[in-house]
Formats: sequence, C-alpha cells, structure tokens
Amino acid sequence: MKRLWKGPSRPIVGISCSIAAAIAAGAIASAASASTGAARAAKSKSSPVFVVANTSSVQKLDPDVVTNFLDFQALGLIYDTLVQFNNKLQVTPDLATSWKFSDHNRVLTFQLRKGVKFDDGTTFTSADVVASLQRAENPKVADASASFLASMKRVVPVGQYAVKLELSRPDTSVLDGLTSINFAMLSKKAIAAGTLSKKPDGTGPYKFVSWSPNNSFTVAANPAYWGHKPSIQKIEIKTIASEQSIASALEAHTVQLGLLTEPQVADHLPKSFKVQKVLDLSYRALMLQDKTGPLANLDNRLALECAISRQQVVASAVLGQGQAVGPVPLGPYKSSPISAVCPTQNLAKARSYLKLAGDPGGFSFTAMTSTDLDPTSAAQATTVQADLARVGIHMTIQNLAGNSYIQDWLKGDFQAAFAENGADPDPYVMYGRYFGAGANLAVPAGYSSPALQKLLLKSDQATTPAALKAANAAVSRYLTANAVWDWLFDSYDYAVFPSTLHGFQLPPNRQLQSLKFATIS
Amino acid sequence: MLVAIARRLLSTLITLFGVAVVIFVILRLLPGNAITASLGVSAGLLSHAQITQLDHFYGIGESPVSQFTSWLGATLTGNLGVSLSSQKPVAGMIAQALPVTLELGIMALAIGVLLGVFFGVAGALRPGHIGDLAGQALALVGLAVPSFVLGTALVTFMSSTFHYFPSSESYAGLFANTWLNLQQIFFPACVLGVGIAAAIMRTTRAAVLEINTQNFVRTARGKGVSERAVVWRHLLLNALVPIVTMSGIQLGYLLGGTVIIEEIFVLPGLGRMLVTAINNRDFPVVQSVTMLFAAGFVVINMLTDVFSAVIDPRSKDR
Repeated sequence: MKRLWKGPSRPIVGISCSIAAAIAAGAIASAASASTGAARAAKSKSSPVFVVANTSSVQKLDPDVVTNFLDFQALGLIYDTLVQFNNKLQVTPDLATSWKFSDHNRVLTFQLRKGVKFDDGTTFTSADVVASLQRAENPKVADASASFLASMKRVVPVGQYAVKLELSRPDTSVLDGLTSINFAMLSKKAIAAGTLSKKPDGTGPYKFVSWSPNNSFTVAANPAYWGHKPSIQKIEIKTIASEQSIASALEAHTVQLGLLTEPQVADHLPKSFKVQKVLDLSYRALMLQDKTGPLANLDNRLALECAISRQQVVASAVLGQGQAVGPVPLGPYKSSPISAVCPTQNLAKARSYLKLAGDPGGFSFTAMTSTDLDPTSAAQATTVQADLARVGIHMTIQNLAGNSYIQDWLKGDFQAAFAENGADPDPYVMYGRYFGAGANLAVPAGYSSPALQKLLLKSDQATTPAALKAANAAVSRYLTANAVWDWLFDSYDYAVFPSTLHGFQLPPNRQLQSLKFATIS
Repeated sequence: MLVAIARRLLSTLITLFGVAVVIFVILRLLPGNAITASLGVSAGLLSHAQITQLDHFYGIGESPVSQFTSWLGATLTGNLGVSLSSQKPVAGMIAQALPVTLELGIMALAIGVLLGVFFGVAGALRPGHIGDLAGQALALVGLAVPSFVLGTALVTFMSSTFHYFPSSESYAGLFANTWLNLQQIFFPACVLGVGIAAAIMRTTRAAVLEINTQNFVRTARGKGVSERAVVWRHLLLNALVPIVTMSGIQLGYLLGGTVIIEEIFVLPGLGRMLVTAINNRDFPVVQSVTMLFAAGFVVINMLTDVFSAVIDPRSKDR
C-alpha cells in the first residue's frame, strides 16, 4: 500500500518529534535552571526577598480577630505584645519592661518601654495600651481571645509609660494570655482610623508591605525598630498548598524557609538542608463526654486509658514523629505522662477496671474523627480501636466533614472525639476554658467537677513559682487520675532551610520573630 | 442561524439561573456557617455579644430568599460583594486570578489539541503500526494517570534533578516578565494538556479512520490528488466537527482540572482561590467563582456548537 502521509506525518517521525520535544522541554528546564539557578543561588545569599513557605495562607490582617496559625506568625513580625514567651515558654518582657501584681493579685501594673514608634510614626504610650486592650474587649471586634481578659474590670494609664489592669478577681494567668497576638499593641490613631484590617501598623521588627490573599504576604525591615535591627530586609510568606511542592521549591532555591508538618517530606530532603523540629503547640486527645452512658463510669474511663498504647498511636499516626504526653504537653509546667494511671498500655489493669465497673465483657461507644481537620485522626482512631478491642471495648469510628465535626463538637453531641486542641504553657489558660467555673467550652469538655474547678482556681491565683508549680501539678494529676479525657500525643513541626541560614530558631510557639536575628552567609 | 444562536443564548441564560439557584442552595445546606468555618472550634470561646455581632456581619439569620435576591441583583449589576475572609472586593480578586487560569487553560488546550490531533491522524493513517500503538498507549496513560499524580511527579523530578521549579517563584504576569511567565505556565499546561490530548487523540483517530474509508476520499486519491492534500483537505477537515466538539468539552472540564494543578504548581489562579474560599465558607467568593466556572462551561459549549455549525456545511440545511 502506498504511504499515505509523506515526510513529517510518519508515526515514527511523530514519536521522534515527541521525544525530541520532551528532551527540548528538559533542556529548557536545564538551561533555564542553569541560567537562573546560578542567579537564584546568588540571590539566596544576598536576596532582598527571603521567602517563607507554608501550606496555609494569611487570611486576615487585623491582629485582634485572627485565629489562623499563619496569621499569628505573619502578624507577629509586625506587632509586639506587652509580654512574650521565650524559648522555654516563660513569660518575658516585650513592650512592657516589667510588671507587678498587687492587691492580692487583683491589680497588675506594667512599666512600658520608652522610645518605641509605630510604623505610622506615632510614639507608643500608655494611651495605646489602653486603646488596644479596650478594643480587644469590645464585642463588636469579636476578638477570639477576649475571654482571657474576662477578669479585667478596667485598664487605666499611670502616666505616659505605665498602665494598670484592675481585675475582678485574683488572676495571674492573664499575663500568659497577654502574650497572644490577639492582644497586640495597636496604635490608638490606627484604631480610631479603622484601618487595621487593611494596613497593619505595629512596632515590631518588620513593617507591612503587601498582601495578596491566598498567595503571599510581604514585610520589610523596620528601620525604626526599638530592638535588634533585622539583617534580612524583606520577607515574603508564600502559600504553597502542598508540602511536597514546598520541598520542591526549597530544592529549587526559590524558598528559603519551609514550615512543614509531614515528617516524610522533611526526611526526604537532601542532607544539605537543616531541619529543626519542635513539638507542636497543640496536642491530640480523645475527648470524652463523661456525663452519660458507659463513659460516665470512672472505672470504664480508666479501663480505656489503660487499654490504649499511646506509643503505638504515635507510631501509626505520625510515623513515630511525636511524643506521648500528659495534659500539659510543654512549658515549665509540663506534666509527665508517667503520672497517668497507666503510663503505658496495661491490658490486665484495663480488664480489672472493667470488672470494677461491672462491665467485665467491655462496652461500646462511638468516637468521631475528622480527617479534614486532622489528617492523622483516622490512623489514631483505628489504632485505638484495635487496642480497645483487645479488652472487649468496641469503639465505632464516625468520620465527619470538618464543619459537621465542629458543629457536633461545639454542641457536645458526641460520646468521644479525637481532637487536636491548642496547648498553652499555663494549665489554667489551657483548661480553665473547659473545666473552670463558667467555662466557655464546658459543653464540649463533657466533664465538670467542683474539685477540678477549685484546683484550677488555685492555679490561677498562685503567686509564687513554687505554689504555681504545685497547683499545676495537682491539675494534671486530677485530669489523668479521673481519666477526664485520654491524652494521646504531641507531634513535631518542622522548619527546613538551607545551611546558609544562621541564627534562626523555631521556638516552641512557632513564632517567626527570631528571623530578626537571622543572617544568610 | 441567528435564530438558532438566539435560542441557544436563551437556554444558556436559563441554565445559568438554574446554576445560581443550585450553588446558593448547596452552600446553605452545608453544615456549619461562616463563623465556625472562620474560627473552627474557637467559635466556642465567643461570648453571646460577640456571636450576635458576627451573625450581623456575616448576614446569618437573614431569610434565604432575601439573601438570594440581594446576591443575584448585585451580581447582575457587577457587584460581586466583598470577601468575608480578606475583606477585599471579590471582583478585584477575580480580576487578578482570572488571567492566570485563562492562560493556563488556553495553553493546555493548545498543547492537548496539537498532540491529540497529531497522534490521532498519524495513528489512523497506519492503524496497528508501532506509532499507532505508541499513541494509544500514551492516550491510555493520559486518561488513566490523574493530573495531580503527574503534576507532583513532574515537580519533584524537575526540582530534584534540575533544581528548577519556576512556578514557586512569585508569579510573573505575561506582559510583565514573558519568559518567566511562560516557564511558569508551560509545565502545568503540559500536565493538563496530556489529559486533553488523550481524549482528542482517540476522537481524531476514530473520525479519521471512518472518513478514510469513505468514497469521496477514495475518489480523491483515484483522481490523483496528492496525499498531503487528501489528509489536510478531505480527512482532517471532515474530522474537524468531532474534534471541535471534544475540544469544547475538554476545555469545560479543564476549568475544574485547574483547581488541583494550580495548587501543585503554586499558580494564583481561580481554582486555588475557590478551594481556599470553600474551606473558609467565604460565600461571596465561592458563589462568584463557581458562577464564573459554570458560565465559562456553558458559554464554551455554546461557542462549540456555533463553531461546529459554521465549519459543517450540512448544518446550513438543518
């Protein structure tokens, strides 16, 4: 048969052309990477823009209303607070140089730093502190952390450089709450102008430059900053939705710092990258509704606690990249998991608790998870389910979409819930909202007891470090001895960067302020 | 012809209205509201006074009919509202993201059509030949491998082998930095294009195979018309209608395909904007972008029909 399409139409030539095209594409990639790679490598050394990549995106600019973790990290570069956490999660000065409790912990007086200027050029004074805290309290603003200021009756200036917080009850944990960016120090002028949701105006090491929702957030060094002047002049926080793509961008030198949560991604990067891992400021727990059903029985709850191998949960859910923890996972009052009734899995003890409960054959309950909110929750649940089955406890897993989970969680409409909850170094801040008197989250907490409320109050009112430590240890002990929930583990977060970056340390609260000390060699 | 176009336009408008109703209802049927979507479980920390303020801000509690009519009325006058999350005008956000998605879609379609038609014609002219088998295998891969797998593999390969991932640099506009822009769009367009090429290749191959057996083609060859002319004028031209139809359908699906590819290749397009907005229950953004996608799909189908009628002389008789 006669050839139908001469020359270029021949299939074999077509294949050759395709292969050639593929090779050409590779060559383009190679050439482009060669031409721009050297430039990029040079750029990464003296780059005017230091790129930080994260899967999340900056969603809001008003520090009083942010709840997304990246928003806290981004705005933490622009704003200062009165007090802040150091790397040991102890409260240290920021815009307040010192503070003092008086009148039986009913008055808290701050001495303020002098010579601090906002980005708009105005000087930071006590009037700004008063305006900032009053704004945070205002229901119209809807500050998600406003409940931490619930004990504040009023805030009054004492001259230009001191303020006094008058509290309705002794409340030492208010200091811990004030480390949050939700209580950032704002310019009175910017508050009056109503511009904070569009143009941040802080006193921090960096100034706001631009924000493209869902894409990037850029800041530049603040030449008027009162503290250590940053070496890195411009930082762009870039949204890269997949962690694998962040790893690729690190390898392509287009990103200088990757914030990751998936251990397998961090592990597979070349050894030329430094990986810092810190325990996340949130913990995983199996929350229990202890008021009705089999979980109302303390012995059943203790059987649950003893039957679960938390080490196995860590291994299956986060590939071993985490730690089994007690109710307070980190900070100066960290509780030891050893203090739990069963620090490690003890099936014999679990069976004996079931006998004591009058349920020797076990019992059944349903636990909800949401892989939308916590992708590891499915692995946690199946591991726990297998552990419990060994003593006859049948746990049904109900995986819900993110918003359905949140709705049921807020209504307490569950028997048990695999949850990832925010942690804080101060046990009162962590658990006062769940188990304290008049707690906002009493319904999802699913447990209340006057004894626990009393212990929490004691923790909140302790004045000396020794008393605080003793009170917090008692809270931890109570929570585990009564198997209020089952505390499972805390996973690691990762900061990955090239070895040319020096001086950066991801702190336990994962704030990025230490970038002001960072240099690139 | 004009009457047919007018009729089609009317049905397009009715379809779009139906889409608007469906989008509106589905978004409201989802559990949760803008407050819980925005704050998560922290919504439980809000006081009653704060919740009242937020209800007012998000329009929670307004009757669905009043919400729908006010949204539709505003949309028709070009006011797409303000993003609940970023507080920026939705129209401005779309204006920034749309060119990225359009460029990606057009380049992906171009790559898909070129590869698909080439391999389809080449395979049909020598069925069973190694080139045909290779083309079919390629089509199978294109159809079977999800674009997110191909995209992730490509990104990982390029970055680990060549230290090259242009899309992870700040997005460059087509006219601001053409060379960087083309590098950023080319690779994701290739990934999307492979999937399109597979469908177009199969359609082209089937059409050309069928037309190649027709009497008019045999007659043309018998009259001594050159093979090049037979292929271009008789085979390809007559196969154009199914190819155009398939390209239109693929372009419609492409709009959905950009969602995941824009995530992997870090492109600030509409798809990525939509995913973030859905997660945040940012109703004004979700409604506007979904309407835009739906309108795009319907308009593309309409244009495909019109174009098919133009290139098919038989349609003049219908």
